[in-house]
Amino acid sequence: MDTLANVAHGFGVALLPVNLLYCFIGVFIGTLVGVLPGIGPISAMSLLLPVTLSGTPESGIIMMAGIYYGSMYGGSTTSILVNIPGEAASVVTCIDGHQMAKQGRAGPALGISAFGSFIAGTFALIALMLVAPKLASVAIAFGPAEYFSLMVLGLVVLTFLTQGSMPKALLMACIGVVLGLIGLDSITAQPRLTFGRMELIDGIGLVPVVMGLFGVAEVLLNTEQAIKRDIINARITQLLPTKEDWKASAGPVGRGTLLGFFLGILPGGGAVVASFASYALEKRLSKTPERFGHGAIEGVAGPESANNAAAGGAFIPLMTLGIPPNVVMALLLGAFVIHGLQPGPLLITQNPGLFWGIVASMYIGNVMLLVLNLPMIGMWVQLLKLPYNILFPLIILFTILGVYCSSNNVFDVYVMIAFGIIGYFMRKLGYEPAPLVLAFVLGPMMENNLRKSLILSQGDLWTFVQRPISAVCLAFAMALLIAPLLPSLRKKRELVALDEGA
Amino acid sequence: MPRYGLKTIAFAAMHAVMGALLSTAASAQDYPTKPITLIVPWPAGGSTDISMRAIADSASKVLGQPIVIDNKAGGGGTVGPATMAAAAKPDGYTISQIPITVFRLPLMQEVSWDPAKDFTYIIHLTGYTFGVTTSAESQFKSWKDVVEFAKANPGKVTYATPGAGTSLHIGMEQIAGMSGIKLTQVPFKGGAETNAAVLGQHTMLQADSTGWRPLVDAGKLRLLMVWTGSRSPNYPDAPTLKELGYPMVYDSPFGIAGPKGMDPKIVAKLHDAFKKAVEDPAVVATLAKYDMVPNYKNTEDYKKFVVEVTESERKVIETLGLAKK
Amino acid sequence: MTNQTNKLRLNNSELWGGLIGLALGGFVIWSGMKLKLGTINDPGSGYVLFYTGILMCVFAGSIIVSALTEGGPTLASRWENVRWSKPLLLIGCLVAFSVALEPLGFLLSSIPLMLLLLRLIDPVRWTLAIPIAVLVPTGMWWVLKRLLLIQLPSGLFGIG
Repeated sequence: MDTLANVAHGFGVALLPVNLLYCFIGVFIGTLVGVLPGIGPISAMSLLLPVTLSGTPESGIIMMAGIYYGSMYGGSTTSILVNIPGEAASVVTCIDGHQMAKQGRAGPALGISAFGSFIAGTFALIALMLVAPKLASVAIAFGPAEYFSLMVLGLVVLTFLTQGSMPKALLMACIGVVLGLIGLDSITAQPRLTFGRMELIDGIGLVPVVMGLFGVAEVLLNTEQAIKRDIINARITQLLPTKEDWKASAGPVGRGTLLGFFLGILPGGGAVVASFASYALEKRLSKTPERFGHGAIEGVAGPESANNAAAGGAFIPLMTLGIPPNVVMALLLGAFVIHGLQPGPLLITQNPGLFWGIVASMYIGNVMLLVLNLPMIGMWVQLLKLPYNILFPLIILFTILGVYCSSNNVFDVYVMIAFGIIGYFMRKLGYEPAPLVLAFVLGPMMENNLRKSLILSQGDLWTFVQRPISAVCLAFAMALLIAPLLPSLRKKRELVALDEGA
Repeated sequence: MPRYGLKTIAFAAMHAVMGALLSTAASAQDYPTKPITLIVPWPAGGSTDISMRAIADSASKVLGQPIVIDNKAGGGGTVGPATMAAAAKPDGYTISQIPITVFRLPLMQEVSWDPAKDFTYIIHLTGYTFGVTTSAESQFKSWKDVVEFAKANPGKVTYATPGAGTSLHIGMEQIAGMSGIKLTQVPFKGGAETNAAVLGQHTMLQADSTGWRPLVDAGKLRLLMVWTGSRSPNYPDAPTLKELGYPMVYDSPFGIAGPKGMDPKIVAKLHDAFKKAVEDPAVVATLAKYDMVPNYKNTEDYKKFVVEVTESERKVIETLGLAKK
Repeated sequence: MTNQTNKLRLNNSELWGGLIGLALGGFVIWSGMKLKLGTINDPGSGYVLFYTGILMCVFAGSIIVSALTEGGPTLASRWENVRWSKPLLLIGCLVAFSVALEPLGFLLSSIPLMLLLLRLIDPVRWTLAIPIAVLVPTGMWWVLKRLLLIQLPSGLFGIG
């Protein structure tokens, strides 16, 4: 009953007209920022941080939070429409989402990702209200050894992302790890693989890599075909998901939400692993896994829900421990401190109005986002009716602008163009980009945590098996690797076993 | 499309190009005409990040342009300044916080920058309060317990730092050397990570600046010592290094700098803006939340200070046997 | 897809993919060794690179082996029945653009790029191509500069 009173109190705060206005501004900016590839929530929030200083702490933080989860809604739009993921978590959405768009089903794809996001977001908030304090311990249960094993599990997921040959996918993953390690070593500060190029000291940016490998390479592939491209705009049947779509998506949305919420609690990389893992899970559970990669709606519904639930879960370590799990949350922490508040174990008890007000405002914000996003689907689908010979130069221009704006760096534009060309030849030779991107994100974290855990265990590799959470992650990874081997002992799949030594 | 449309469009484009030509004459006089990027070489949300955000916010009001914080963490706070020294133009639109590791790391290994040559030092701002904490559930009730345990189990005591070669790493190694014990350092990427590490008891100790404050206040972490000259008013029970018998003070003072070769007029503008910022009561209040005290030095004094620090660091590094071969 | 089985043919695309992978793997191993492997108690900067390099060689090796034993599509067959000259033109335009971007600035390099893309691949009529090529980059430039305060490269002539 205590919780109910608190929730009521929270809605009292959130429904104040000024807070409603801030909430709307926040989710509106968030949607815009999410749709524009490159300009992520981070740059928008740091630019707007000073603006929030004028109001009360509640309204400022409500707006900042709105930008964050608002951008999660918009993030899938460009992935589905033109195969340009704005962030790592949307890479998975590209795989089946863009295929759906090509088949004239952009509407249902966008629709299911909006509804899935809404359901996941709402669930994450209810969970946040009920169990936030209890789950705080989950965030700190993960030490270097646990993270390493989680990253291994994340990387194993890539074997489900691929439709072609397994050695090729694994080779791509290794290249992803190596590309991710370029730059100064975060433990010893030694430059690695920088070839004396100063621009590489900071590593290669994720945004130019994904935009090149997906966006630009896709355009290059499409220009080969004179006739086929019309398929994109030929038959757009309906705008919203049908009953069958809903039936197919219900399970993925539910599972994705749970997966995303729990992985979102973990500081660092949770959302990315969650969206990739959800895709793998759905493909594994599906009776027709061969449809994945060719426009399966489950492959959009699951990851998109996971992505948004993770955004909710990410609030738990921040609100309860004062530990921000990602850069966006850290900016929110900054907003708290600038307003004279210190998120930590005492925040909920000392400032109940603030905590519950923010949570309630996020609930309202989610409703606003759904109302805001659904009418936009029609508009986005109209975009695909543009003839491709006009559309593709615009796509190229937008990727260039998006990459430049994400870092203000011309070098990143070169990187994107280079990866676009590499991506084109990769696709021509049957190498897929998704494993590379996943490994690019997880590889450096895996390396860093491996080295830290070996320092901690003084070189004892058993530490990964002796620690229960780590052991569970590794067991899952093993199971995922072995499962495809059991029914058919096909020669090609045997190579997967080699990866266990990694 | 009708024909006159083309003409109108061509006219509009001409107009845009002309306007662009007129608006480019940017110089030191007009500085700043666009947002300034301040590199904070620590993860967002740590004590440095938040205090720099407060300072930058106040300074941006003086400059009349927003200051965008760019968190480039890693390498014990050297990745950011090193990137800036290598890649940024000395136009005053990219500046960086300069942690003490920028002077220390070149003494320990091959690096891509030279602290004496590659930066234009602007202003010295403040320093940290460092402390060593342990989980509230830990067997260590005081620093003495740690020393005793470490004597019995050499190398078994692990401590999390925000990076190799940080003051926390060097300080802990000095303490260990003086007590005749062996400790194992685990380098993380900043306050948020070390908090989680010690709270989850992945490492036994945490050596970090005051990012641990909310957790100590909530009784989840136990503060074993502080590294300031005198006891912190917020934590009167925590002994200083001197009281524990280690004659040292560590506060890692820091300032800001730009790439080498900046226009002195721009340096002066930035100096004045940031000087006003550290005097701003709101900033002083934010700094106090992390037990930071403004430690202002002007551009000239900062340059001298860099030389002094480099020398004193050299001695410490050599005594500890960490100097590069 | 044409899947001819050409054993031990040099134009086998699988073979070349594997060889490139093997070369990259070798390079990564070499870089890893140069960066120092460290010990298992305290792995060095090159530790993970070294082992990743070995894995790369293993996977590339298995690609090569299956290319040799099972054959694979020829390089030419990958580009059969498609307009291979179009992506090549597009790549040329993009490379030219990246060379021009810094000296000429965003506006002076992206307007010609747009014009080339609109006219070269699947020609759009001039009356449509010119307005799009001029207006879209200029409009985006204006929005970014004025509303979002993002400065795009202005080049030697300071236009933009």
